[in-house]
Amino acid sequence: MTYRDRVASALDDGCRFAALYAVGDLVRAVLVAADGALRLEAVAAEDGRVPTIVDLAPAAAWDEREAADLYGLRFDGHEPLRPLVAHDLDLKTWTVPVHGDDAYQVAVGPIHAGVIESGHFRFHVVGDKILHLDARLFYKHRGLERAAEGRTLAEGRAYMQRACAACAVSNSVAYAHACEEILALESSAELARVRTILLELERAWSHLNDIAAVCAGAGLAAGNTFFAALTERARRLNERLTGHRFLFDSVQIGGSALSLDAEAVEAAREELASIAADSKSGWRELLFNSSFQDRLPDIGVVTANDARALGAVGPAARASGIADDARSYSTRLAYDGFAPVAPRRLAGDVQARLEQRAVELLQTFDMLDDLLDRPIAPTEAVAGGESVTVGLGLVESPRGATLCAVEHADNRIARVHLRTGSYANWPVVAHAAAGNLLPDFPLINKSFELCYACADR
Amino acid sequence: MLTLLRNLRRIRTDIALPAPTRGRSLAVRHVDAGSCNGCEHELTLAMSPYEDVQRYGFGIVASPRHADVLLVTGTVTTRMREPLLTAYNAMPEPRRVVALGDCALARGVLAADTEIVGPVEALLPVDMRIPGCPPSPPTITQALLELHDASTPNREGRRPPPPPRRRIQRSR
Repeated sequence: MTYRDRVASALDDGCRFAALYAVGDLVRAVLVAADGALRLEAVAAEDGRVPTIVDLAPAAAWDEREAADLYGLRFDGHEPLRPLVAHDLDLKTWTVPVHGDDAYQVAVGPIHAGVIESGHFRFHVVGDKILHLDARLFYKHRGLERAAEGRTLAEGRAYMQRACAACAVSNSVAYAHACEEILALESSAELARVRTILLELERAWSHLNDIAAVCAGAGLAAGNTFFAALTERARRLNERLTGHRFLFDSVQIGGSALSLDAEAVEAAREELASIAADSKSGWRELLFNSSFQDRLPDIGVVTANDARALGAVGPAARASGIADDARSYSTRLAYDGFAPVAPRRLAGDVQARLEQRAVELLQTFDMLDDLLDRPIAPTEAVAGGESVTVGLGLVESPRGATLCAVEHADNRIARVHLRTGSYANWPVVAHAAAGNLLPDFPLINKSFELCYACADR
Repeated sequence: MLTLLRNLRRIRTDIALPAPTRGRSLAVRHVDAGSCNGCEHELTLAMSPYEDVQRYGFGIVASPRHADVLLVTGTVTTRMREPLLTAYNAMPEPRRVVALGDCALARGVLAADTEIVGPVEALLPVDMRIPGCPPSPPTITQALLELHDASTPNREGRRPPPPPRRRIQRSR
């Protein structure tokens, strides 16, 4: 079977596209089955050309464009293969042509009006109506993957962590899992528990922040300030537990050094219970604030079919009715019996994505309460499994499934690739914007609340 | 809505932030030149009720035209060089540049050399350096207070001499 046939048959078997990256003369595609099993397919480039899979898996569009820009590959059948990471190019090369009476462009960014990361949006509009959006990111491209090459596996973690502060734990755990697969290590029960606690602490502050952001996007200052205060409390708790407000350096490869006595764990539980109670009360206020709620439904709609085709992940996908959550099948983590939650309406609009965060937040607080029932002691991974040449780690970050692939030679990184939930969802944001009013875009964007840093790397 | 506002008042009473002793004002324009998003998240929370940097009259403004201070985060990437210089050149005098966070100060930067220009001071005259990975909201407030007080008249009414008008050459 050819590479395309193998990918097509995997997709027919119910697999979801998870990543595609170039390494040397090879292109590797990673697919994830419904039970979380990861499948690798590879194809060797001939004269720098490989067949595209974008017609089979539209979600691979950005991955192929990135591999073309950074590794000089051509993808046969991917037409037009517009530049994605490469800048300094004529507008016509990277924007989709939009013609018609009164159609014009509105350019926004890379510097935005608030405290926002850098990225450029090119809106094609008629009046206030968005016909099409070309999102041009990678202003923050720091070449992290390339910079990590040649480092030891242990050193590489810092690069993946620094890809994004908001997803530092998720990215580090995905990387650690990939490395541990290479080193034939498995999580001990205690290691699984510690990492799950860290991941859920990250989700807690992140979801609180996202709810605040949607309030800001809709102009509800009181809601924004209230949830910003809760975000601050969550970050202070992070610092008390791990010494860092963003939980930096709390994930290591092959073990965990975190130590918390019974008193510290109990204090954390109490604070989390208090934050949970306040967040519930704040959420109730938002539900009954009719002018706020009136802003949310029926804008930025992503249907379930579109979400699936575009490869949406995380809360954004679940709000469209795709009940996929990498926590359901994370064997290396302590998510036993986990089932994804969903909001009342699966409309895939701003309201559904906001409510998705709120219901997930409750689940996160419940899980943390269970997981923090005893002290945390330093622990090591245990030997198990067979050593592999390509290590893969898949983790549900606050923004969705994040995949890390590591290839090594003599315990040094030959290639590392990080495909975060934000990366997967950026094309979905562009799709969700079309057909809406330009003034609604900030709110639509906030309802996804993606990171630019971990897409740009 | 009332409950939200009541809760916010309770938070403010509980935190009991000291009131500012004198009037101040700084209009800050933030530019992300290639950060990991940590400095942005901390800067955002400098405006939460727990820190409330606005109580000093410090606020984020939407345009460099309105700004006294250019607050730059991250190591400067090759792609953000031009937008950063454009923002700086759009500012009225007197203006100050603040480099926020270790990356902006070239401390422990993780990046491929070919993708970055260097720290902020490789491009712009930096008046205030705020170290930290990322600096916490109180650290940010404190640094802005120092910057403000160092740039305004002292008790004898002597104003520090204004810096010479600078225009940074753009490459294109």
